[in-house]
Amino acid sequence: MTTIPAVLPAVDEVVQPNAPRPSARRGRSRRARVTYALTVLAFILPSAIPLAMFTLGPMVAAAWVSLHEWNLLAPMTWVGLDNYRSLLADPRTGDVFLHTIYYIAGYLPLVYIGGLTLALALNTALKGRSLLRGVYFLPVITSWIVVALVWRWLLNPSNGIVNTVLEAFGIAGPGWWSDPAWAMPSIILASAWKDIGFVMVILLAGLQAINQDLYDAAKVDGAGWWRRLVSVTLPLLSPSTFFVVVISLINGFQVFDQVYAMTGGGPGGASQVVVQQIYDLTFRYGKAGEASALSWLLFAVVLFVTVIQIRGQKRWVNYG
Amino acid sequence: MADATMADATTTDATTADATPVRSVGRPSLKRDTRSGTRRTVGFVLLHVVMIIGALLMFFPFLWTIITSISPGAGLTLAPALFPDNPSLAAYLQLFTERPFGQVMVNSLLLAVITTVVQLFTSATAGYAFSRLPFRGQGVVFAIYLATMMIPLQVLIVPLFSELKAFGLLNTYLGALLPTFATAFGIFLLRQAINQVPRELDEAATIDGAGHFRIFWTIILPNIRPALATLVVFAFMGSWNSFLWPLVVLRSPELQTLPVALAGLVGQYTTQWDVVMAGSVVSVLPMLALYIFAQKYIIQGVASSGIK
Amino acid sequence: MNRKLVATAGLAACAALVMSGCAATPSAAPAGPVTITYSNFISNDGNEDNLSKIVDAFEKENKNITVDVKTLPYGDYGTALQTDLAAGTAADVFDIEYSNYASYQANGVLAEIPVDNADAYRGTLLDAYATDGKQYALPSSFSDVVLYYNADLFDAAGVDYPTNDWTWEDEKAAALKLTDKAKGVWGDHQPVSFYEYYKALAQNGGDFLAKDGKSVAFNSPEGIEAAKWLVEKSGTVMPTIEQGQGTADFDTNLFKDGKLAMLHTGIWVFGAVADVPFTWDIAVEPGNTDKASAVFSNAVGVSATSKHTEAAAKWAEFLTSSDTMVQTRLDAGWELPPISDEDALATYLDKGAPANRKAVFDSLDGIALPPVVAKGQTEMQDITGEELVEAQAGRKTVEEALKSAEKRINAVIGG
Repeated sequence: MTTIPAVLPAVDEVVQPNAPRPSARRGRSRRARVTYALTVLAFILPSAIPLAMFTLGPMVAAAWVSLHEWNLLAPMTWVGLDNYRSLLADPRTGDVFLHTIYYIAGYLPLVYIGGLTLALALNTALKGRSLLRGVYFLPVITSWIVVALVWRWLLNPSNGIVNTVLEAFGIAGPGWWSDPAWAMPSIILASAWKDIGFVMVILLAGLQAINQDLYDAAKVDGAGWWRRLVSVTLPLLSPSTFFVVVISLINGFQVFDQVYAMTGGGPGGASQVVVQQIYDLTFRYGKAGEASALSWLLFAVVLFVTVIQIRGQKRWVNYG
Repeated sequence: MADATMADATTTDATTADATPVRSVGRPSLKRDTRSGTRRTVGFVLLHVVMIIGALLMFFPFLWTIITSISPGAGLTLAPALFPDNPSLAAYLQLFTERPFGQVMVNSLLLAVITTVVQLFTSATAGYAFSRLPFRGQGVVFAIYLATMMIPLQVLIVPLFSELKAFGLLNTYLGALLPTFATAFGIFLLRQAINQVPRELDEAATIDGAGHFRIFWTIILPNIRPALATLVVFAFMGSWNSFLWPLVVLRSPELQTLPVALAGLVGQYTTQWDVVMAGSVVSVLPMLALYIFAQKYIIQGVASSGIK
Repeated sequence: MNRKLVATAGLAACAALVMSGCAATPSAAPAGPVTITYSNFISNDGNEDNLSKIVDAFEKENKNITVDVKTLPYGDYGTALQTDLAAGTAADVFDIEYSNYASYQANGVLAEIPVDNADAYRGTLLDAYATDGKQYALPSSFSDVVLYYNADLFDAAGVDYPTNDWTWEDEKAAALKLTDKAKGVWGDHQPVSFYEYYKALAQNGGDFLAKDGKSVAFNSPEGIEAAKWLVEKSGTVMPTIEQGQGTADFDTNLFKDGKLAMLHTGIWVFGAVADVPFTWDIAVEPGNTDKASAVFSNAVGVSATSKHTEAAAKWAEFLTSSDTMVQTRLDAGWELPPISDEDALATYLDKGAPANRKAVFDSLDGIALPPVVAKGQTEMQDITGEELVEAQAGRKTVEEALKSAEKRINAVIGG
């Protein structure tokens, strides 16, 4: 899944596009207008057709399926809003959202602070920083399945390297992914490790756009390193921070691969997240209708959270 | 929008290393502030040490993967030694002889290459349309495009599954490919890049009698190479590493892709970690090669998208 | 690149053609050589070679049929089969479990299988896979769960070996004596799962389902006692979930390492523990008020969408009743063949370790069959397991867990 959709800075531009308005084209000949329309279509259809057929269409279809009982084998039967009712009555629905939020709450601060630290350090005249950047970026390009496998292996409760090392220091390591209380922290740890390089790249790009004169001015005013970080760097980095937060939230609500490969949602459902639940409902329990209802619930939550953030961004995001 | 200095700073690390970026964490250039030079140098060395230790920690899981993959019988009882007694490539051999990993890699490569090429095409054309071809309702259409970013494929799994079943495309490469052909991310990235190509270039070409297709091909595309390279990396990566959709849609073992085959290895070889880790190493290599090739463009590409 | 794209599109078109082509001429007699696919979990983890033997014998006998075997781990199998059935990509022949038979049959995914040699099968097993007088699957094996024990550990602790007359009390007393946490030796292991729970319930004189099959009956004094029997082993005589208990193969590996004195598991593990460097044997599982052993039966069905139903049925029959299968299974101790021939089965007793193979048959004197519901079988099983693990991990009391399980399962299977 592509992980850096850059929705939000663009939202403002949708409202105030910088391109000339279509009215500017009035007065052309009819033939020229037809040619122009055909040109627009030629450029827009290659993307519009797949998006309509494989994203928007299925989205609408999911709403339709969510009103039916369907095990994917027999024909569907209309049940109205029953799927939504049973979802709301099922304690697991609340659990999977809670687990997902737990994941985000653990993952986001970790990956942001880690990524920021790396970006600040690698934005200096460090020797060999291309290589360092490469190493920190390596987990980003690695498949989640591989990362999950390796981390399961590192965090193996009985003979994994992490617990072996802890034992050498006289610490009894936890059961990690085999323990209901530690399953989600294990997933968070692996996720932060994987994504830290990505956050680093976004923040590096942001850091390099900051005008150096501001630092010089701050220094003339006698501001120390910390002061400059807090009053110059962080405010000017806020658009990048905003982007990281929004994308992490959108992706966080969709967390699946690592859960599937590390714990399968276990033990005893302790790390079951929303998307895994959608998958299980569909292909394990044969409840495609209920799965579609949950899909819509998830979509509504993501939309809500994203809109709240766009609204709230004015308070702290500085587009300079 | 991204300014040129930012892009320059990334692409020409060596030459600008002690110029602009240095001061952003507060290390003053030595010329101006010699008093604290010694303290700064100590701090600077310390920074190197910390970053290198961090990088080693970061890299450790990969190192461990490689070591495990060449330790025969790894995981049967205890974790393998840091320096295996009798390193062997048997696990790799097993992957390609006993398991269809050759076929699996070809499958993944085929899907990733097609996805990347098609995404470059759909993203560049759409990016051009949104940047250079104003039309009525453009803002609304663009907003709808962007909104699709919030709809993850996972959420659409049921309807997509039945849609492709209706087309008879389940268990085919085409079925695995179609939903990946256009992504809002790619379109957005290239639109932002095209926005930064000076319009004077188009106008000059128009005067020379060039139409939109020629401008697109001869002016725009050559001028957005960093963004194209970034898209290549992310599109290829997205396909190469994607799991859920290939898992669901490609049912026959001979059509399987790498992540799905790897996940399958775990269930079947619960104790043969050397084989599992060999598969992991093999799956990372092509991505690594691509990254090294496109590395210098990535930060620049991200920067030019206006995410800053 | 475009050429590849075209090739892919062509491939897809071919696939579509083949699909529609097959719909037009279902189950045409196999004139030329045919290849059928067989998807299974029964051979995973140790019996792959044994299955190959049966396949080879079949292909030798039927020169024009090739069997293409796909093996999946048990944990992934159910979801994969459900997905394949939904996608229309199910194998010609596939494994099913007794507990899922009813729902697959009702959804029409199983083809009727004509049976020529019904007498070869155990009548009760064959009947379990018939609906309205028609056979929709063939039993491929049956097996039960017994108590494995490490005789060396018993000797060292001076504890008498388990007998067929043991009760929960005896097991608990022995387990406590055998547990030596300092040495990492544990007295007992029994998974905290649906499969153990419905059986423990039967051993305690309780019922899992109410008479109508649309609600559960386990939230009872017997049910609570049975759940406590399982849950309270954790941390006293059995490793805790934090220590890795409950993960795949944890228990058999612990037993093989000589760190586990007693193990509740199925006879399908015989092969996996055959080469351990200590003496081991088995006994009938202890009961509380009743004796009840879990009996499982696997079966194979022929896909209703198969293009080669005739060849598929032939393979299904060979896999479940041929002499090669009987001999292979008996020699390897790979569960028990579903046959009626008692004399052949009797040879099972003399095939080596464990010595007390008679316990496998003695267990059949009192059996517990899995509770089966018309709708929501897998979900019922998952919920039971989940709630018991909650209690095991100490996040709920046993009473709370059962109450919650009752409420959730009733919502799934009722109506």
